[in-house]
Amino acid sequence: MTAAPIVQIRALTKIFLQGEINVTALDSIDLSIESGEFLTLMGPSGSGKSTLLHIIAGIDRPTRGECIVQDRNIAALNESDLADWRNQNVGFVFQTFNLIPVLTAYENVELPLLLTQLSGKERRHLVTTALEMVGLDDRMKHLPKQLSGGQEQRVAIARALVTDPKLVVADEPTGNLDSHSANEVLDILRTLSRDAGKTVIMVTHDPKAAAYGSRTIHLEKGELVPN
Amino acid sequence: MTIPGFIVKNALRNKRRAALCVLSVAASLFLLVSLLVVLNEFTNPPEDVGASLRIAVRNKVSLATPLPVRQRPLIAKIPGVEAITALSFFGGKYKGEENTMFAQFAMDPEQLELVFGEAKLPREQLEAWIANRTSCIIGVDTAKRYNVKIGDKFQLIGQIYPVDLDLTVVGIYKGTTDDRNVFFHQKLLDELTGDLGQVGMWWIKARSPEEVPGVIDRINAAFTNTSAEVLAETERAFQLSFVSMWANIKVLISSICSVVVFALILVSASTMSMAIRERMRELSVLKALGFRRHELFAFILAESFGLAAVGFLLGAGGAWLLYSSVNAPTLTGGMFPTLDVTPRILAFSALVAAVLGVVSSLAPALAVTRMSVVDGLKTLD
Repeated sequence: MTAAPIVQIRALTKIFLQGEINVTALDSIDLSIESGEFLTLMGPSGSGKSTLLHIIAGIDRPTRGECIVQDRNIAALNESDLADWRNQNVGFVFQTFNLIPVLTAYENVELPLLLTQLSGKERRHLVTTALEMVGLDDRMKHLPKQLSGGQEQRVAIARALVTDPKLVVADEPTGNLDSHSANEVLDILRTLSRDAGKTVIMVTHDPKAAAYGSRTIHLEKGELVPN
Repeated sequence: MTIPGFIVKNALRNKRRAALCVLSVAASLFLLVSLLVVLNEFTNPPEDVGASLRIAVRNKVSLATPLPVRQRPLIAKIPGVEAITALSFFGGKYKGEENTMFAQFAMDPEQLELVFGEAKLPREQLEAWIANRTSCIIGVDTAKRYNVKIGDKFQLIGQIYPVDLDLTVVGIYKGTTDDRNVFFHQKLLDELTGDLGQVGMWWIKARSPEEVPGVIDRINAAFTNTSAEVLAETERAFQLSFVSMWANIKVLISSICSVVVFALILVSASTMSMAIRERMRELSVLKALGFRRHELFAFILAESFGLAAVGFLLGAGGAWLLYSSVNAPTLTGGMFPTLDVTPRILAFSALVAAVLGVVSSLAPALAVTRMSVVDGLKTLD
């Protein structure tokens, strides 16, 4: 693990308007995440952990404060630049896998590469490597419905890795999996952090899953809970 | 995988819905093309090769008012006139039919080749017609429809003239835009009606297209302030004068066309909205992966456009194939000599399909581009 922070959050506040009521999801959060760290975010439902993850990943914007990822204040980027930034710097793993049902495992993993200038041969190499990393090189031509939940989530991890992002964000990636598949997925995420130097940020309710992380932080009512 | 391949896979993800959507577009465009073809047949009657040289001369009072025979030598002497024939509409019924869908004309047989040169009739048949005053020639479409052969009797019951005709078929012609008409001797009509010294119209062939306007002016001037003033006009103008009679039909068909297009847009928009609403989360995932708003907009537009394009190929292409291969008089009970799917009609239906593709995808595409990734992921969670 290197000492340089990849994510720096300063006085981050997120307020949602629900009907006519302002709801503070995050309240002046300060947080620093170092490169190569496997950070787990825990907390009860509505504590703001997913909102924090979304802001770090650039799919949501803060109301106030700064979110600097790899020395860029992503809150200041416009929609188009932010989309480019996500494609190049962030890998997403969702609770419900979110694979495209009409595409094979190979095509799902290839999807983020369609936005790059890579040749077909280069794309093929990267997709094959990513699927090999998650142990699914023999399931390339399978559609999501032909895979188990654990395999689907591994395809989703391969899709998150294929662009070689520095940051991998996972929103309850084991929430829909049995314990065996959950352990496989968590092993992969830990390997990514420990051996490949990726920074992994994972939201989870499960203390066993959180134990895979190198650091765990707790949120409650939009605020960080001191350890 | 390529982006177009991805779009095609998305468009075909629900094959039954895609097929129904394409078929609804195809059926509607087939109907639209058919209506436009009918409208076109009403408003733009087909033109013969020799039409640019022909001049129709009728009584200025009305088409139903006859012209005196004495006008013939005066017209024939007018500079620029190459040939002239009488042409009297008989308007009879064939063998007591309720609605006879072919016209019958009395004319001067010797002038057939000169005035209506595009009518192809074997020489011996033409000579037989000229030689026999009680004979007639019929168009190939009518011959086929009634299974009439050379030598057969052909009876027409007069409706305008108080006489019936008992003719012998001596020739079958083809090559005109309307191969249904029946021609017989003007002299026979004169004899049967007591030689009134009248004809329905004069039909003239000018020496060259350049001389046509001058000939028309001279003919009109020649009979000004006489008891039978005439209205001479080109064959095209004469045909189009009938179009005004179809005014209400035109409005009706145009209205139906508008309703068809409007219903089509509603059906397609509904289908596209459903298809996109089901995929909100997937589209949000694509956004999260780095696809930009305008790229998603283009995906949806291309998908909708593609379905509309396939519908166009099936519907308009099918109509073109059908109307190119069928016998129009048979299909329409003799109402239309041709059913021509013109390039203009195809272009218009292609435009309708293109507009349909764009309009039906507009609302769902805008909804997707405006939706935030987080909201999209939550919506169907």
